[in-house]
Amino acid sequence: MSRIDEILSLTRHVPPFPKVAASVMQLLKDPNVTAARLAEVIQYDQVITGNVLKICNAAYFGLSHKINSLDEGLVFIGHDILKDIIIASSSARFYQGNVGSGYGLGQGDMWKHSVACAIMSKRLVQHIDGVEAGSAFTAGLLHDIGKRFLSSFVEDDLEKIITRVDQQGGSFVDAEREFLGMDHAAVGGLVLKNWQFDQELIDAVSGHHDVHALEKAPLTALVALSNSLVISMGIGVGVDGMAAELHGKGLERFSITEKMLDACMVDLFAELGRAQELLNIVGS
Amino acid sequence: MKKIVGISDMQISNNARDTLITYSLGSCIAVIIWDPVVKVGGLLHFMLPDSKLDKDRATVNPYMFADSGIPAMFRQAYAYGAKKDRLVVKAVGGAQLLDPSGLFNIGQRNYQIMQRLFQKNKISIAKEDIGGSVNRTVSLEVDSGRTVLRVSGRGRFEI
Repeated sequence: MSRIDEILSLTRHVPPFPKVAASVMQLLKDPNVTAARLAEVIQYDQVITGNVLKICNAAYFGLSHKINSLDEGLVFIGHDILKDIIIASSSARFYQGNVGSGYGLGQGDMWKHSVACAIMSKRLVQHIDGVEAGSAFTAGLLHDIGKRFLSSFVEDDLEKIITRVDQQGGSFVDAEREFLGMDHAAVGGLVLKNWQFDQELIDAVSGHHDVHALEKAPLTALVALSNSLVISMGIGVGVDGMAAELHGKGLERFSITEKMLDACMVDLFAELGRAQELLNIVGS
Repeated sequence: MKKIVGISDMQISNNARDTLITYSLGSCIAVIIWDPVVKVGGLLHFMLPDSKLDKDRATVNPYMFADSGIPAMFRQAYAYGAKKDRLVVKAVGGAQLLDPSGLFNIGQRNYQIMQRLFQKNKISIAKEDIGGSVNRTVSLEVDSGRTVLRVSGRGRFEI
């Protein structure tokens, strides 16, 4: 089997995204859905139920009193927040353990990077029209999921990849494509396709390292920008470092200034401090 | 003891057994200072150039910005007995994404404001490792002033 076939086979055999997530997202399309109906679906997934409670009580979501049961939690949190919690606790299982070690990432690093990117993406919604906050959060959280599947291949060829990046000054994903036949963004797109996410999300994940991403669909532009800022801050970054290319010219389209980006970084720093429970879902 | 300096954070020490370390510098810059006579070392990991961006946050945490963090670190070092003319100053970080338009230039802006600040105060940088598109980790042994840098693709070396 060629290496590209091996990679493709891995993406085909990825464990399914928790069914509960899809069911809840479906239910939430009805703005009048009751907490009891949501609880009925969620309670079948113990991990998600546990996380919903834990995260409901996290400072990040700002509830003023302690939530003890799923029913109660679902009454108090808004649907937007519930979506984020369901996506975060459904995704967390794919970030457990030594994922991303081939990229020089320690345990929990990939999750930290992903949560930071999800929060940054949500923050950027105010600057980029046409993106719904829930999709921004989800795309931010899952944009690097392809690294989980490419990690061992990167590890095998790391010396060659690093040498190429170093000597030719190109991006890390260019080197991934050259030596592995695919990059982690494309792999992530395939994984999201298998999980039956919307096309908009698949495109955002597979396009987040497109050098012209800022000129593409709003969600793609947003995730690429979010990722670039989080990489600049050095949050959950491995051997690929800052060897990522993004043409900043596309920012003009959104009238985003340097100062706005700086302010987003300051806000992310503050919000991460409040997102400990979200970060703790995955052990480091 | 290993003391970890986070993002927008600073540590100062005169304990000979301490090593100050900061991980994963992207566009952020670490300023390392060390006084060989009183053996006081400091490591600052600032994120952005200018505290005017958010004065409230800069008051709570001056180490987020170059223009508030660097003076705050020097003041602390003086309180530990360090003297300005003896301080060995090093700086690392300030990397950039690959962007031909140069709009993602946080690293460069961080470096420029730091340089201006040092020039104005007649402080020279003894060693620096700045720019590129790499991630850096740097540590300072308080006892010896030994400063070790780890750069993706370039390994570990002393500066």
